[in-house]
Amino acid sequence: MAGGGFDAPEVAQGKGNKHKKSKAAGVRIDMTPMVDVIMLLLTFFMLTTTLSAPQLMKVSLPKGDVKDKVKVDMGNVLYVRVSEKGNIYFAQGRSDGSESEMKKVEVKNIATELEKIYAVNNNLLLLLKFDRKMKYNVMSDVFDEISRAKIERRYAFLKMEDVDLQKIVAAGG
Amino acid sequence: MRKVREIKKPDIKIDMTPMVDVIMLLLTFFMLTATFRAAESEAVEVALPQSIYSDPDNKMRESDVMTLSLTKDGDIFVDVDNYKIREKIFGDQFAIGLYHPDSTSQSTVMQTGKAGDKEIKRKVVVMNKAQFDKVLVDLKNSLRSVTGNKQASFQVVVKGDKDVSYGVFEDLMASLHESDNKIFSLVTMIKSESKKE
Repeated sequence: MAGGGFDAPEVAQGKGNKHKKSKAAGVRIDMTPMVDVIMLLLTFFMLTTTLSAPQLMKVSLPKGDVKDKVKVDMGNVLYVRVSEKGNIYFAQGRSDGSESEMKKVEVKNIATELEKIYAVNNNLLLLLKFDRKMKYNVMSDVFDEISRAKIERRYAFLKMEDVDLQKIVAAGG
Repeated sequence: MRKVREIKKPDIKIDMTPMVDVIMLLLTFFMLTATFRAAESEAVEVALPQSIYSDPDNKMRESDVMTLSLTKDGDIFVDVDNYKIREKIFGDQFAIGLYHPDSTSQSTVMQTGKAGDKEIKRKVVVMNKAQFDKVLVDLKNSLRSVTGNKQASFQVVVKGDKDVSYGVFEDLMASLHESDNKIFSLVTMIKSESKKE
């Protein structure tokens, strides 16, 4: 039973006697209550935590009054129209006030499309026109993509007019 | 003699130390990452949309937050996290403001007392457009008078249900613009990018 010397012969060879004594002291702390408490705390924290904290997307509305008119070069404008069904159409403005043919864009391609247009014209201004009956979800997706695109963010939310609705219907709704 | 001794001391001991170590580690992790949801901020529950983009320097503040929740029934709830301001504006410490922009329909909260599927336990103050616009301005002013800081302003966050129609949000934007709350944030849940590609 007194086999302490076998395991650790090189530690204290000359003082075999003392070594034996210290081993026999055997102070034991009962961990069970501590483990119980820790388990309780752990369960509490696991249940009350919300791991996926919500994130924020900043939106800035233009300064000044609603009635204030801002002059922009129509050649820098990109119309982003979203129909009730959630179809997204891009149309580039021209300096004479007209605009290019509407082009349907998938949500996941918005960022790359914007970067392409921005590479040509870095004064790009996005005019966002969303259908009132459209789902909020689509708006947040579009806005997410615009935020993700590596372009200078300049945008304005505009009201969907009847003209826009007609254009959308002509393009396929 | 020897045999008796052996039976007497079966002596099975399980070493708890590694388990305690692991549990301690987990506990520390959860304690550090915990963000508690204040019970009152859950007054209105909405299904938030998901987004990939996250603004590194735009985080939800701990206090002075104005929450505008859009439920899928088209109601806008306005709430602030300061009970003194709530008492001043709505006349009750636990009241919450409600504005239903669509004049052609009725707010379901008024009929059933529920927003979405959840019952509203707090006192609801119903407002029309003019009152809502006024409250948005009043809230800002009272924050300044309560805190004594003339520069203080709320962090305005919009929690829109992913199924609410965009029109409600457009009406809200008009009111925010008029009340000079020109910068606000949309609250979303994080979406992993891998799912999309």
